[in-house]
Amino acid sequence: MSTIMIVEDDPKINQLLQEQLEKYGFQTVNVEHFDRVMEVFTQGRPDLVLLDVNLPKFDGFYWCRQMRQESNCPILFISARESKMDQVMALENGADDYITKPFDYDVVLAKIRSQLRRAYGQYAPQEGERTVEVAGLKLFLERMELSMYDTKIELSKKEALLLEALMNQHPRVVSRERLLEKLWDEQFVDENTLNVYITRVRGKLKDLGLEGAVETVRGSGYRLRATWEEGQ
Amino acid sequence: MKLFLRDQWPFAAFFLVQLILLIMIFAMDGYWNESLMIYVMFLSVFFAGAFLAIRYLSHRAIYQRLSKPVESLEELTQTYGNSPLCRAMDDISQEQYRLYKEQLHAYENKQRDHTTFIQQWVHQMKTPISVIHLLLQNEDDPTAESVREEVDRIKRGLETVLYIARLDRFEQDFLIEPVTLRSLVQNVLAENKRLFIRNQVYPEVKVDESWRVESDDKWLAFVLNQLLTNAVRYSAGKSNKVTIRAYERGAHAILEVQDYGIGIPSEDIRRVFKPYFTGENGRKYPESTGMGLYLVKEICGRLHHGVEMESEVGEGTTVRIVLSAVVPTLQESKIAES
Repeated sequence: MSTIMIVEDDPKINQLLQEQLEKYGFQTVNVEHFDRVMEVFTQGRPDLVLLDVNLPKFDGFYWCRQMRQESNCPILFISARESKMDQVMALENGADDYITKPFDYDVVLAKIRSQLRRAYGQYAPQEGERTVEVAGLKLFLERMELSMYDTKIELSKKEALLLEALMNQHPRVVSRERLLEKLWDEQFVDENTLNVYITRVRGKLKDLGLEGAVETVRGSGYRLRATWEEGQ
Repeated sequence: MKLFLRDQWPFAAFFLVQLILLIMIFAMDGYWNESLMIYVMFLSVFFAGAFLAIRYLSHRAIYQRLSKPVESLEELTQTYGNSPLCRAMDDISQEQYRLYKEQLHAYENKQRDHTTFIQQWVHQMKTPISVIHLLLQNEDDPTAESVREEVDRIKRGLETVLYIARLDRFEQDFLIEPVTLRSLVQNVLAENKRLFIRNQVYPEVKVDESWRVESDDKWLAFVLNQLLTNAVRYSAGKSNKVTIRAYERGAHAILEVQDYGIGIPSEDIRRVFKPYFTGENGRKYPESTGMGLYLVKEICGRLHHGVEMESEVGEGTTVRIVLSAVVPTLQESKIAES
């Protein structure tokens, strides 16, 4: 289990990040007294540091230099400042990447994972794998697999994202807008493409013997229904 | 010289009147010696002329200065000469210059403080926005969706404020380097995906992957952001497509954003790049600040990119950014290598 140190002076952001990281199986160390950042760093021995730039007393660049004298662990800056100079400064002071606020959990998690992989090799799968489960239907997000009892089925990336949204919200409705937003990463997705993906997901669920599990709610979106449970 | 003559003619006239008066008094008194009179007149006129000439030469700088328009502030500090009048002029203009500079500095400082304050304030506002953003990420009900939209709007507004404040210190805040157009476009699109989805407008990207231009990616992204926001806003409900394409025109690369929306009335086109100008469309869409296109023009000017606009009411609008240099595309560089 990797340990992530969070150096962020806003208590709420600190806490939200901490909760989210713990949810995905990371251990967190956080700093309460900003004159003792180095002590926490030395004692906590984190595998990765999330570092804010604007901090009381000394700024993040200073702490980054201090940490670099002791360790080579990945350091990611998280800051509201987005000027070129700040990013250059961060990298020159020894940081590995720079994330600007406001950020998405997904982005932070993806960057943390990629830095950990790069720094410590391929032991990422040991991290608590992200899974979502609804009444026996299990989605493995990293492997993009869907399983029901003993049957397993492979999914494409977009199908996995769609199912993740539907299963996370179960039994509530997910709006079409939200789904479009989820699917839109590099390539944008329009309404027709979404329909195609929904059809494919229905097909995959049918392959697992689950029919009518994705229900269309007119005028608002889609809902996952555990039809297989209701039948029993 | 002209000014000098105009300045001195009363003196010359006075002198002549006095001379004639003197001679007439002598003549009426019965004393008349023609050659002596001519000699006296000649001598007087000669000395008066010499006086005026010396006067002119010693004050020439002042007269020249007074008859030319001021072109730079530094002219105020030049010295005029050594006569008492010249020295007095020197002193007074130095003093004026100093006072002026002092006030200018005071205003500059005030302006700088203000800019710094705005920037700090925007950054402070980003923390609560980040918190709201994080809090909402795992929520998926209509209220959360609606709050997310509002947060997007606040973010957009803050961003504009920040960029306007930054414009003052543009010189310290840009870095020209090769920018890959395709990834720039994709990043900006991803940032605006909620805007597109909400308005049911979809982007069509026709940008070659290998195209690179010389620019600053942050500022160019901001420009594209403004153009896309406009394009989506004025397309909503009328068309569902916005085209972003890049092509070559001579030595330039053109980045074009085309929408098929309501278009801009021809009488407004010339003025859309003026600050605070919202025009007819601005009145229909209350969110217009009139700053978007002004900033686009301003930023492109500083990056040495051209901006062109074409629009027809009911047909749509096309905005083109003319980028100054095309970095050899990947294909070209491959050809060069082989």
